[in-house]
Amino acid sequence: MKLFDPHIHMTSRTTDDYQAMRAAGIVAVVEPAFWVGQPRTHVGTFEDYFLSLVGWERFRASQFGIRHFCTIGLNPKEANSAELVDGVMALLPRYLEKDGVVAVGEIGFDDQTPAEERLFAEQLELARIHGLPVLIHTPHRDKKAGTERSLAVVRDCGFPEGRVLIDHNNEETLPLVLATGCWAGHSIYPNTKMDENRMVALVRRYGAERIIVNSAADWGVSDPLKVPKTARAMREAGISEAEIQAIFWFNPVFFFAQSGRLLLGDLETPAEIDQRRLWEGNSVLRGQTPVVGA
Amino acid sequence: MRAEISETIAAALRRQAPEGWAWLEGRDRLTGFAGAGRRFAGPAGFSDHEAELLRAAGVAAPEDWSLAEAARAWALLAASPDEVPRLFRTGDTAERVAILKCLALLPDPAAHVGLAVEALRSHVQDVFEALACDNSYPAAWLPEPNFNQMVLKALFTGAPLSRVRGLSDRLNPTLVRMCADYAAERRAAGRVVPPDIALITGGPP
Repeated sequence: MKLFDPHIHMTSRTTDDYQAMRAAGIVAVVEPAFWVGQPRTHVGTFEDYFLSLVGWERFRASQFGIRHFCTIGLNPKEANSAELVDGVMALLPRYLEKDGVVAVGEIGFDDQTPAEERLFAEQLELARIHGLPVLIHTPHRDKKAGTERSLAVVRDCGFPEGRVLIDHNNEETLPLVLATGCWAGHSIYPNTKMDENRMVALVRRYGAERIIVNSAADWGVSDPLKVPKTARAMREAGISEAEIQAIFWFNPVFFFAQSGRLLLGDLETPAEIDQRRLWEGNSVLRGQTPVVGA
Repeated sequence: MRAEISETIAAALRRQAPEGWAWLEGRDRLTGFAGAGRRFAGPAGFSDHEAELLRAAGVAAPEDWSLAEAARAWALLAASPDEVPRLFRTGDTAERVAILKCLALLPDPAAHVGLAVEALRSHVQDVFEALACDNSYPAAWLPEPNFNQMVLKALFTGAPLSRVRGLSDRLNPTLVRMCADYAAERRAAGRVVPPDIALITGGPP
């Protein structure tokens, strides 16, 4: 079964992860723009990061037969970097126009400051202008209140809820999100946040509609195979194949296809692994017959 | 000549993608350059005559151009030459490839040697090959040390030497020595020597 990990920070992962992901059936990923562990200190650092998402990391994924898409945005943590935000916001229109950028994100709240709220609303407006859906990060501290505030910002801005993916949900936030028209993402981690068994319980209770699962694997302790592992856990728990296909393929594909930059038809044929690009320096993979004197 | 080339490309765009052309023509050149990727699909489909004109203007392989690349080339030719470095640096892979493929067409190609050398440093193989393979620019404009490093990297990364245009014109003793050393290094490691190294060293690997 083809799998999609719609939230994974591949910049922080090794080629071992790419190989394992592909072997486990992951053929497409969305890598959201986020922070990188400590605050950036120059606008240019954001720009080079955006360029790496649409350039180097996309190429790196292709070496392993994985189609790489990304989101672009000013993340909630660094919305608080007052001296940089104007410069970063000025960059966004340019980078939101790139191919393969499938949403504005990750945006939303972290500490729930006024600055975060302002940049959240401004980026919803950018998403409207560029015809993109949005990926919303919910805070890991004070999550329920943060999720309620996020849903309120979406509502107050009049942004269409069907084009909003509220991520990192748990047992308390999922019903709040499902009560709106927004989509609900869940990040499955080894020790913290959501796990496979709790995810199975949530799907048993709420079904598969507008449910999305991801690994959010990043530079911390995380597992880039949580998507296939969670799919397997659901299968073993007797959740229907149709629901599993929806959660792990059709839901994320449909959601991000709303950008117009991701086509189901393209994804149905997974990217081939071009061995020549693996830099093995092995001439068996080159196979040319020399034309002497050309 | 540049105006004729612009018109040649425009004619192909008009014929192959009338809707895309209408969008592109009405856009400022920088927006057109960026957005062309999603609005033009498939190969450029130049006619034999159009391809001949492009070859005469320095495009080594017009048959390899996509329609999006042709659209970007047209937008680039219409933009100011000062824009080229910035468009390259802020470009994604497809945008960078498009710029490199039409470097020979731009006014004052010699001015872009710095950009070309920077592009050759890229680990993104598509970017490297857009310049190293089927492109007349390196043989025409790169200084010898840079040309040599490009050829060695082509060997290293599996890009066929037969696609390095103008290689035989630019052969030099240093390049021959570097490649002979590379062949010796591979043999010492018990690894196969790329057979097309003979294009440079002249003998069996």
